[in-house]
Amino acid sequence: MKINISEIIRIALIFLFAIFILLPLIWALASAFKSNNRIMADTIPLSWKTFIPAPFRLDAFKDLAESNFGKSILLTVFVGLLTVFLGILLNSIAAFSFAIFNFPGKNILFAIVIITFLVPFEAIAIPLYIIVRELGWLNTIYALIVPAIPNGLTILLFRQFFLGIPNDLKDAAIIDGAGWFRVYWQIYLPLAKPAAISAGLLLFFSQWKAFFWPLLATQSENLRMVQVWIAYSTTTEYSLIWNKILASSVITAIIPIILIFPLQKYFIRGISTSGLKG
Amino acid sequence: MKLNSLRGYKDIVGTINHVPTISISRKIIPYLFLLPALSGLFFFRFFPIIVNFYGSLYRSSYSSQGETSIFTGLSNYIDLFYDPTFWNSLKVTFKLNLFLNPIQITMALIIALLIRKNTLFNRISRTLFLLPLGIAIAISSSIWRILLDQNYGLINGILEFLSIPRQPFLTSSNQAIWCIVLVAAWCGISYLMIFFLVGLQEIPNELYESAKIDGSNNWNSFWKITLPLLKRTILFVTVLDTSSNFLLFVPIFMLTKGGPNMSTDTLMYQNYSSAFIYSDFRRALTISSVILIILLIVVFFEFKMLGKEDQ
Repeated sequence: MKINISEIIRIALIFLFAIFILLPLIWALASAFKSNNRIMADTIPLSWKTFIPAPFRLDAFKDLAESNFGKSILLTVFVGLLTVFLGILLNSIAAFSFAIFNFPGKNILFAIVIITFLVPFEAIAIPLYIIVRELGWLNTIYALIVPAIPNGLTILLFRQFFLGIPNDLKDAAIIDGAGWFRVYWQIYLPLAKPAAISAGLLLFFSQWKAFFWPLLATQSENLRMVQVWIAYSTTTEYSLIWNKILASSVITAIIPIILIFPLQKYFIRGISTSGLKG
Repeated sequence: MKLNSLRGYKDIVGTINHVPTISISRKIIPYLFLLPALSGLFFFRFFPIIVNFYGSLYRSSYSSQGETSIFTGLSNYIDLFYDPTFWNSLKVTFKLNLFLNPIQITMALIIALLIRKNTLFNRISRTLFLLPLGIAIAISSSIWRILLDQNYGLINGILEFLSIPRQPFLTSSNQAIWCIVLVAAWCGISYLMIFFLVGLQEIPNELYESAKIDGSNNWNSFWKITLPLLKRTILFVTVLDTSSNFLLFVPIFMLTKGGPNMSTDTLMYQNYSSAFIYSDFRRALTISSVILIILLIVVFFEFKMLGKEDQ
């Protein structure tokens, strides 16, 4: 039997990278089910107990259940869903306009979309903070939702999809006397389900993972989005309660992972259309 | 299904010879549809850029009447020019990008190449390598903060297992920046890997097969086929990676707060601390402008390179 050396090297390399990527996650997952003293005692010296919770403890999760972590998750889900709903609606109708009509100023307006898409959000966070402050929205839920709704990437995604829909569908409906809004609402939007799923995932994750903006825009404890909640609990009051930090991380990481895997195809498509093909 | 029923619908109505009347509303409708999203984009994405440059040209003074702004031209920029803290953070930002970006891109490309073929083993590996994508950078940073703990962290546990003395990591001004490189690399690899996987799938398999027949080994195929055909993807990933790492903030905020001894004090962290720790918004706006200008220059050059590829 011939042993394929390059195949062995390939698998060894995959194994090596997998250790780098997965070891922190396995350790975090195991430690979330330990008592706080055991986490430290089990790590140095290294043993099988470092990666397996024995004894298995749910203290950290019980602590979380008693804190306002659940409220923070609900707030984030609410903000995320509202952003998805309004974001898909408003951006797709703009994309419809770009895809269907020719009108004066189209190129300039489209250039604005491209520019806003190219300038990373973090670069404008501080002037945006000043604008939101002037609007009196600091420390309100508006600050979390409204600036996240208009989204250049979502417009580009929908536009790309709408351009692929054959024109005769639209022409037929118009001849039949349908208004443009009905053409959008009853023909284009229902057909654009794949684009809506990619856009919805991107918008939801952008809120679920948001950290910098919620950190700036909201100070009150009731408006702490999950990531900010965890950051505050790691740096201040729970500074040494590692199992609690890890347990909250596990809960927060599970939701996107559950969403990503069944919808992986759309998610990857959404990311790759964002620039590579566009 | 839906498409077919709509086509049938067209057959029925298509025979009616009816020309829709073009009215004034036909001219307004495109703008009406654009209004909500575009005004939002303008106000929350484009206008901040203007506010930023404009605001950096003024200075605030406080009196009994409250805050007043005085136009001072480029004086905020001149102050920055003579500020060693600013130069330090510029240096730290470039140092970080110089090491982090090549490490991230090379690792992402290597992993993508290793799991390129569509076998069961590779599909499982792909899923595992995509896991960090589900984890927000704020969370990965807090996990890594614990992993890098000097006394109880897993990394020191592994070092001790290998009989290497424990390291101070985040509390050492020599090591902290390398810890940030490590954490940021870990967080970003999965995302970049996706682009490489997509790019690799677009290279037709026949090319490799005919190269094999011609006696080319894997190593030669990589240099002669994969790399040239992947050039566009590599350029794109480089732009993406540079513009996001240039603005790297969360790991620094969570792990080092710019320290120790300002060894991890990047431009973005300076920006944040000027505004929210020292309440000096003018300085923050000026730093943001510098960041924006550098980014625009980088993006401009990358675009020129991408444009050349298209011709």
